[in-house]
Amino acid sequence: MDFTISEELGSVQQLAQQILADFTGVDQLGIIEQQQERIDGKLWHALAEAGLLGLDIEESMGGTDMGFYSLAMLCEEVGRTVAPVPVIPVLVSTAGTLRRFASPAQKEQWLPGIANGSSLLSAALEEYNNDDPAKPACSATAMEGGYAISGTKICVSSAGSAKRILLSATTGDELVVALVDPLAAGVTLTPQVVTSGETCHELQLENVQVPGDDIIATGGKALEAMEWAHQATRTALCAMAVGVCDKMMRITGQYTSEREQFGRAIATFQAVSHRVADCYIDVECLRLVTQQAASRLDQGRPAREAVAIAKIWCGDVTHRVSQASQHCHGGTGVDRDYPLHRFCLLARQIELSAGSSALLTAQLGQDICAAYT
Amino acid sequence: MNIELTTEQKALQLEVREYMKTIMTPELLQEMKIPEYKEGGGPEFRKQYARMGADGWIGLSWSKELGGREMTHVEQYIFTDEVVRSGFAYPFLTTEAVTPVIAANANDKVRDEVVGGVRDGKVVIAIGYSEPNAGTDLASLTTKAERDGDDWIINGQKMWTSLANFADYVWLAARTDPDASKKHKGLTMFLVPTTLEGFSHTPVHTLGVRTNATYFSDIRLPDKYRVGEINGGWKLITGQLNIERLSLFTHGQVDSLYQGVCEWAAATPSPAGGKLIEQSWVQHNLARVKSGLEVVKLICWKQAWSMDQGALDMADASVAKVYGSEFFVELYRLLLEVMGQAGAIATDSPGAVLKGKLEFRWRVGSILTFGGGANEVQRDIIAMAGLWMPRTR
Repeated sequence: MDFTISEELGSVQQLAQQILADFTGVDQLGIIEQQQERIDGKLWHALAEAGLLGLDIEESMGGTDMGFYSLAMLCEEVGRTVAPVPVIPVLVSTAGTLRRFASPAQKEQWLPGIANGSSLLSAALEEYNNDDPAKPACSATAMEGGYAISGTKICVSSAGSAKRILLSATTGDELVVALVDPLAAGVTLTPQVVTSGETCHELQLENVQVPGDDIIATGGKALEAMEWAHQATRTALCAMAVGVCDKMMRITGQYTSEREQFGRAIATFQAVSHRVADCYIDVECLRLVTQQAASRLDQGRPAREAVAIAKIWCGDVTHRVSQASQHCHGGTGVDRDYPLHRFCLLARQIELSAGSSALLTAQLGQDICAAYT
Repeated sequence: MNIELTTEQKALQLEVREYMKTIMTPELLQEMKIPEYKEGGGPEFRKQYARMGADGWIGLSWSKELGGREMTHVEQYIFTDEVVRSGFAYPFLTTEAVTPVIAANANDKVRDEVVGGVRDGKVVIAIGYSEPNAGTDLASLTTKAERDGDDWIINGQKMWTSLANFADYVWLAARTDPDASKKHKGLTMFLVPTTLEGFSHTPVHTLGVRTNATYFSDIRLPDKYRVGEINGGWKLITGQLNIERLSLFTHGQVDSLYQGVCEWAAATPSPAGGKLIEQSWVQHNLARVKSGLEVVKLICWKQAWSMDQGALDMADASVAKVYGSEFFVELYRLLLEVMGQAGAIATDSPGAVLKGKLEFRWRVGSILTFGGGANEVQRDIIAMAGLWMPRTR
């Protein structure tokens, strides 16, 4: 058992912190928020230059191959700075899945471009009332040289600039994982503004023809791919939540130490300081379960239970820390000229993505039942 | 980053688990049914405690010089976790918290007498900190020790002195300078043999176990039983409290309750048909317990690991105390809810679920949030040490 952040990982973290700090000043965040698609292209490019987009991509594909844990750490730092870069959909859900499940030719085609920042691929894992990409409602029908896919995916990030979108559909008998070209005939993208402020898209597919070259996996391998993508995406969201919540709590600790009412800093009231102390406990709990899930995925060990537990904590902690932070700030917390609101919005977005605490608690309970009967 | 026990650590875990089965003899289980002996102190307890000493299981993390095995804190934690899981009333505060402090600070003669006795499983030490008017504000204690030639004369009363009814010594905090500029600067630590004239105790029956009020009436104590410097006691107390908090909330003890309830619910029919564990509300409670338990495990591992790396972070120690104590209480409730009315049936009454263990643990658990440092004080520490917030007032 070893909780050490290795020197290698430590330097990745430091590098990420330096670059992200340079691009996430309040003014700069405000400028990107005015854009239609909320991606800071310059920051994305800088991350690519530093080798940070290829943390979980093989060296032969242009990556640095530092492993999943390092990618989770990058997600945490992005959360800590609320940086407008799509690290989870592009690097975790898509590149991570391609790396593990795509053919050598497919990897050759897409991974080097992701690693060097020249091409962006996204993933569409969720449907209405369904966060599980291993059980999609979208349908796939085998056709000459590929599949025709129909159905609806929701809240797709970065769909506007993605060259391909990774998604799953079912033939009724088996699962199909495919890369869909958003410009293909039958694809309709409808903007969906979500809590974080990002403009995502509803992705409608009407008999969209996907050539065999863009079919990543079918059957058992497709199932394995979507289970991995689901777990990895959840874990990355938890890591991002650690960064978001840790920073929110520290902003709140500092604000309450400076803000005076009744002639004294409000942090000197136990009612206030204890609320922040509770955030500290929550963040530590979330950090530990997230580290466990990420290290299991990093080592390729079974992670279903560890990931479920991490995401349950993630939903609860993002909610509690966000509400406590806003409350302790009074009106300042909701003022859009003050930085806290971005963290609160992202926290809620993370909470609702890829499965809520309530859903995962129910699923964990079913797993426990199955293990004992 | 690798959050899993190594093969060797898992082997140690299994070794201790198997060994403790030989300690929990039928005779001991019988003896523990007597309320007086529930938390140890009976002849069979003494016998098995001494056996653990003879078999070399006491003081794993102590130096070889003291007769220990110099095991890492992680290994020590694995041992602690399994011993607590077994249900043996192992005196952790004696072996893990107080004895290392005595070893580092007592004079040679007393060190040999006490540390040697603990290592052999022959000595139990009770903690004499709290008083009727000194609880969370421990530094305001008034039990006094006055110098008289080569001896000290001790007068006062302690409260919640658990194990004092059978302990060999009381680890006593007493005031030696009533005029100190700050009240925590006038305290000194002593080891008081319970055989001395002037020592007495009366039982205090709590919701859970028996504890004691202890009385110190003109006790004449040789100076060799003073531990550490005169008026230097506070440092020894606070150093010990941090370690004490570590042995309070181990994973195994509650994990075994959780597993027991899962097995029980899987075997028990539900009036709605099927087994109880198939009910969604039961699954909900079990899942909540499981996700909380996982954090208990991780906090314990991280703390033990941190101690092997060097110092334990002050805020982290308080996080463990607050989280552990509040979650344990929550866990008891969530598991008792699964049992419903039967959860209220006490040990040895017909129909008691899991021998009434949970009913009893809940009773004992009600002291956790204030024992070993009230959670309010812990939260103050977290805000100051973890977030650099100003002291509250």
